[in-house]
Amino acid sequence: MDRPAAGSSYQRFPRVRIRELKDDYAKFELRDTDASIANALRRVMIAEVPTVAIDLVEIEVNSSVLNDEFIAHRLGLIPLTSAAAMQMRFSRDCDACDGDGSCEYCSVEFNLSARATDSDQTLEVTSNDLRSADPKVCPVDQARAYQLALSGNDYDPNAERGILIVKLRRGQELRLRAIARKGIGKDHAKWSPAATVTFMYEPDILINEELMDTLTFDEKRSWVESSPTKVFDLSANGKVTVCDAEAYTYDDEVIKKAEAMGKPGLVEINAKEDSFIFTVETTGAITAYELIMNAITVLRQKLDAIGLQDDDGDLGELGAHLGGP
Amino acid sequence: MDTAAKSASPAGADYAALKELFRPHVESFDSFLDVGLDEMLRGIRPMEIKDPNSSAILKITLEKGQVLPPMRDGRLGVPLYPQECRQARTTYHGEFKVDVCLQCNEDGAQIRHTFNFGHLPIMLMSKLCHLRDADPHKLVFHGEEATEMGGYFICGGMERLIRILILQKRNYPMGLVRGSFVKRGAGYTDKAVVIRCVHSDQSSVTIKLYYLQNGSARLGFWLGGREFLLPVGIVLKALIDTSDREIFTSLTCCYSDKYGRGKGVVSTQLIGERAQIILDEVRDLSLLTHMQCLVHIGKYFRSVMEGFEHYDYETVAKAVLKDYIFVHLENNHDKFNLLIFMLQKLYALVDQTASPDNADALQFQEALLPGHLITIFLKDRLQDWLRKSKRLIIEEATKNKSFDLNNALEVRKFLTKHTTFVGRAIESMIKIGKVNSQSGLDLPQRDGMTIHAERLNFHRYISHFRSVHRGSAFAKMRTTSVRKLLPESWGFLCPVHTPDGEPCGLLNHMTSTCRISSVYNSEGVVKDFGKIKKSLSFELVRVGMNPVLPKIERTGPPEVLHVHLDGCILGTIASARIEEAVNYLRMLKLLAHSGIPEDLEVGYVPLSLGGAYPGLYLFTNPARFVRPVKSLFGLPDGKQSIELIGPFEQAFMEIRCPDGGDGGRKEKFPATHEEIHPTAILSVVANLTPWSDHNQSPRNMYQCQMAKQTMGFCGQALKFRTDVKAFHLQTPQTPIVRTATYGKYCMDEFPSGTNAIVAVLAYTGYDMEDAMILNKSAVDRGMFRGHIYQTECIDLSKKNRENVPEIFAKSVLSRDTSTAIDSDGLPRLGQTVHPNEQYYSVYNRLTGAIRPVRLKGTEPAFIDYVAVNGASSKGDFQKANIRLRRVRNPIIGDKFSSRHGQKGVCSQLWPDIDMPFSANTGMRPDLIINPHAFPSRMTIAMLLESMAAKAGSLHGKFMDATPFASSVKKEGKDPRKPDSIVDELGPMLASYGFNYHGTETLYSGFFGTEMDCAIFIGPVYYQRLRHMVSDKFQVRTTGRIDQITRQPIGGRKHGGGIRFGEMERDALLAHGSSYLLHDRLHSCSDYHIADVCSFCGSLLTATVIKSDTQKKAKREMLGLPTVRPQKNFACQACKTSKGMETVAMPYVFRYLAAELAAMNIKLELRLSNKSELPPSQGS
Repeated sequence: MDRPAAGSSYQRFPRVRIRELKDDYAKFELRDTDASIANALRRVMIAEVPTVAIDLVEIEVNSSVLNDEFIAHRLGLIPLTSAAAMQMRFSRDCDACDGDGSCEYCSVEFNLSARATDSDQTLEVTSNDLRSADPKVCPVDQARAYQLALSGNDYDPNAERGILIVKLRRGQELRLRAIARKGIGKDHAKWSPAATVTFMYEPDILINEELMDTLTFDEKRSWVESSPTKVFDLSANGKVTVCDAEAYTYDDEVIKKAEAMGKPGLVEINAKEDSFIFTVETTGAITAYELIMNAITVLRQKLDAIGLQDDDGDLGELGAHLGGP
Repeated sequence: MDTAAKSASPAGADYAALKELFRPHVESFDSFLDVGLDEMLRGIRPMEIKDPNSSAILKITLEKGQVLPPMRDGRLGVPLYPQECRQARTTYHGEFKVDVCLQCNEDGAQIRHTFNFGHLPIMLMSKLCHLRDADPHKLVFHGEEATEMGGYFICGGMERLIRILILQKRNYPMGLVRGSFVKRGAGYTDKAVVIRCVHSDQSSVTIKLYYLQNGSARLGFWLGGREFLLPVGIVLKALIDTSDREIFTSLTCCYSDKYGRGKGVVSTQLIGERAQIILDEVRDLSLLTHMQCLVHIGKYFRSVMEGFEHYDYETVAKAVLKDYIFVHLENNHDKFNLLIFMLQKLYALVDQTASPDNADALQFQEALLPGHLITIFLKDRLQDWLRKSKRLIIEEATKNKSFDLNNALEVRKFLTKHTTFVGRAIESMIKIGKVNSQSGLDLPQRDGMTIHAERLNFHRYISHFRSVHRGSAFAKMRTTSVRKLLPESWGFLCPVHTPDGEPCGLLNHMTSTCRISSVYNSEGVVKDFGKIKKSLSFELVRVGMNPVLPKIERTGPPEVLHVHLDGCILGTIASARIEEAVNYLRMLKLLAHSGIPEDLEVGYVPLSLGGAYPGLYLFTNPARFVRPVKSLFGLPDGKQSIELIGPFEQAFMEIRCPDGGDGGRKEKFPATHEEIHPTAILSVVANLTPWSDHNQSPRNMYQCQMAKQTMGFCGQALKFRTDVKAFHLQTPQTPIVRTATYGKYCMDEFPSGTNAIVAVLAYTGYDMEDAMILNKSAVDRGMFRGHIYQTECIDLSKKNRENVPEIFAKSVLSRDTSTAIDSDGLPRLGQTVHPNEQYYSVYNRLTGAIRPVRLKGTEPAFIDYVAVNGASSKGDFQKANIRLRRVRNPIIGDKFSSRHGQKGVCSQLWPDIDMPFSANTGMRPDLIINPHAFPSRMTIAMLLESMAAKAGSLHGKFMDATPFASSVKKEGKDPRKPDSIVDELGPMLASYGFNYHGTETLYSGFFGTEMDCAIFIGPVYYQRLRHMVSDKFQVRTTGRIDQITRQPIGGRKHGGGIRFGEMERDALLAHGSSYLLHDRLHSCSDYHIADVCSFCGSLLTATVIKSDTQKKAKREMLGLPTVRPQKNFACQACKTSKGMETVAMPYVFRYLAAELAAMNIKLELRLSNKSELPPSQGS
């Protein structure tokens, strides 16, 4: 790739159009940029947007059937509401504490105490039993239950059962103190706020109408049906139209079918190089909107860091890579 | 958590199929308790002791034995449960008592006394086990698996089982050709007829009938460590009072010249001459009468027959005939008839009118069962006890003249001396697997009779109980013919499930449907073999058998066929009626109340031209392999029914596969039976491989190996278990794609892997050569996480030699709470212990010293469980089990495999964001393998599994992957429906918008661009194998060195290095990398600076003359490095220090010089100080 001549700029002005936005789901279009930006955004959303998750567990009593590490691991994977994570400090950078967790800037303390006492029924210890020291940071289903209770519409406290941690038999007990810290998904998957982040290139489907007209109705139907996803539509009068271009999975089935039918070039499908459709699902730790915005913030911070280094004239390895001074 | 799961599963019936697999073991031990014990005691000849002082004879008879259920020591009536034995490392055993009758002289009073013969180990789930027929709740209550199947013993806390060995089929005369027979002596040939006769107490004597070059035969058997060979004529005459003419006609009756060499003719006219030779041989010895023969035998054997020193020749001879010749028969007429038959078979073998039998074929083999082994070994030990007691009593009687055999109390004193050895011998046999007996007990081997029932995972555990070993003697043989997979094993031994490598073909596994016949019928009632014999003979006579008695002129094949029942000739049936008789017998087998056992083996060997020797051989004995097949005979009620067949009869039966084809047998041989399902030829483990019929066969073998090495759920009672090492997978899953066997054997109780999303592509280069990339995030979330549990059993009462009492205790002075040791000297539960940290401490009562014990190894461990076993009299704890838990999360170098023999090593934990992703689902694979894993290995089933699991997960259902499903006729099957599995799976995928062939378009995780080709991706059940780098890595920079050579030591355990051997050295030499070579072989090894005297060239004469101690001390005080002072060495030989030089050399060189000096060889070094290379002179 040519480097831009001095002074000229490849700057583009990407546009984002949000199609659908729910608490834990978002679908948006990203246009006028290229794959590197889209993929960077995806990667940052998965691995570098900070959240809070349980990182240290001190087990006082554990007479359950699961061993300590197993329970600690399960606790770590419980998504905690992390809206405040961007403002928190990483505990390694925190100068207000010595890393033992008793610090309001970098950690949140949790307590869990459960003991199965009555009857033969097993007691299910869930994320609802975790008591947070900071109301802002709590297991996501607790937060949801709280919100539902606030909104007041027929909230049933038993419906929210929380995330199961362990089941206790009569006489068994679990008591522990846990400390949640800020972290990123790169370090451990438990800090990743994204359940799924993916994007697709917007397909550009061109049907060769002339060639299409040479097909019989049955041929058209079998061609339309050759796509495993519903991309094309065949109307009663034998007209083939693109009904849902984005359903196309780039599996080339229709192109292969057309070739098999002896009609190569029946359809031409190209991926638009500068147009992406993102699908974002979160674990609930932060909302999809926050995820996207935080990702952009993180991405910008990273670019700023490069920019700063550039100012110092010290690009380091990156500079050498770019063939810099 | 597990209690909830357990209460959900219905009790009992669920695990019936699983229990069935262990039945041969449990049933045989039951038969030992129910039948074998009494039968065995009856088989022990009463010991007679003659008083050397008087003529009194003491007769010791063993009468009735009794084994009691395991009880706790000390307290009466408190049952001992297996779990307690495992914990306390004791033996699960019950008392063994025998009523012994003492009688002095014939007319003396019979004095009965019950002797305690120590303890016999009790098999779990046998009739004496407290957990027999316990429901899962009770089992769990007693700390067992809900599925506990038993079949093993607990000896010293170890779970051991008796290995099933292959033996020669009992009571069937086999024609063998073996080179080793020639070595018996002059005139012997390589042909013999061999019969392994088994007494009703399971002890056996093998009789060999050798053919001699002169046409005669010798009968050979082993007695007291050597083989005795008798001319067959003598035995014939000694058996019954008969005439030469009778012997002659009996032998020659099977020949008639009217047949010529037609079908089924086994005799030639030579038989007349041979019969003459046999009779002449006897006459040449001038033995004419029955009595003369008996006396001859008696003379010959009196010195070797123990306990018969004082009897006349006739009695001795009769005892020999009873105890050694055809022990399975009681009647001498039967023995005579069998010997005649064997002679006829031998001559047919010699004349090649009948083919030799193959001793390696399962057709002529049976199993050695645990109960039978214990029966015969116990018999041997009891006989040994009698012998020892006799020796003691006679010694005492000769010493002490006043000793009276009539004094029962005195005698008893001597008898009780060795009683407990009997129980101990059985226990030690099970513990170490060694059968210590003088006679060898006619067993194929003496060691390796038992194996440890490892609970590494469930597959391995089951396989132990289903394994059948050919015998350790064959492992050393250079020929491979014994290892061959023979068609006779079809349906009985799994062709897939045998290890590759050393025990290949010798260690086989029974198929999942294979059973072993026992003394119990299907209702669990002991079979009455006498009654069976009676009703069988009755039925046979009804279909036209001529009974062997009364004696009439008989003929032989092809006119009539001999009918054998368990090695006894019942009579003959005309060959024209034989088929009808066979069919009739088979029908009786199927009828429930015919009095004919359902597992009767109807071995009908038809007439043939030079084939197997014809006859109708019926077997009812236990220890035969049997398997069920569908019978196509219409029963009176019109139902098809299941018939149990054995390997002997199978060779002559027409069994078709239910694929609708005739298997090439055409109309000439119509099928009489049908396989129930083709998977019946596979073992349990082999049956678990999905679609194994689509894999290349070696891959299925590898999978059988690897399934046994997986890290899964070894058991749900892990909490109670004290295995030395146990592997545990934290979050296992049930496979989406599974075979019918999976559900049948409740494999969900013991899962062994995870459904991983596997993408098949060459992505980063880290998946080359069977390496595989794991997704780091998937691992973070818990995929393949595992633990190793290690239990240490510390027994302080045993350890010290000086009998110094040691107990667990912590120093009172130590206020240190940072260590893992609690106040009782044992570790705290849940505590992390790092390597080299103390975790328990021992207090020595005598010295008062506290000895803390440190953790070995390089990994930290968690204290999972601490238990103390029983307090000593003072209430101190001396025995403890400490279970350590080590976390083993997947790391680079750990081994994984799919269920298709595709193993791989994790090469990277790759970041999730860099993994390829699917644009529509956003999924990233958990695992990436290289496409090169497929073309050469042809594991098509793995591809099918991936597709099927994808389709199954989309549709939310488990997929059936039973192999050979297409070979089973389906009633009402749509003929238009596609047969191929892909055509079933493709539409399922397509209906959810996925590619028909299981591929997806993936995008690069690095660039976000579409990959050039579609990627095959889907869930595959992956297993984590127990081989982990943490147990294997070996690396060192510095460390321990060898004392003598000063070279690094070897061995991973001691922190040694990996040997840099000669071949490695050659490689470096070839590369010219001399610096590296010097570094490896010298600097990092035994680098040494030696002082050499340049005058005399000696390495060894250097001595220190003086060391400037003052100066050295001063330097040390100032903290300066001590420099080696120059020239403080002198040569002792030259008495000067002038010529001393320092030379760097390997220390071993100095050692060599010293060794040579010890042999008076001087090693001289010539030192020169040339800096440049020496001028090349000449070449």
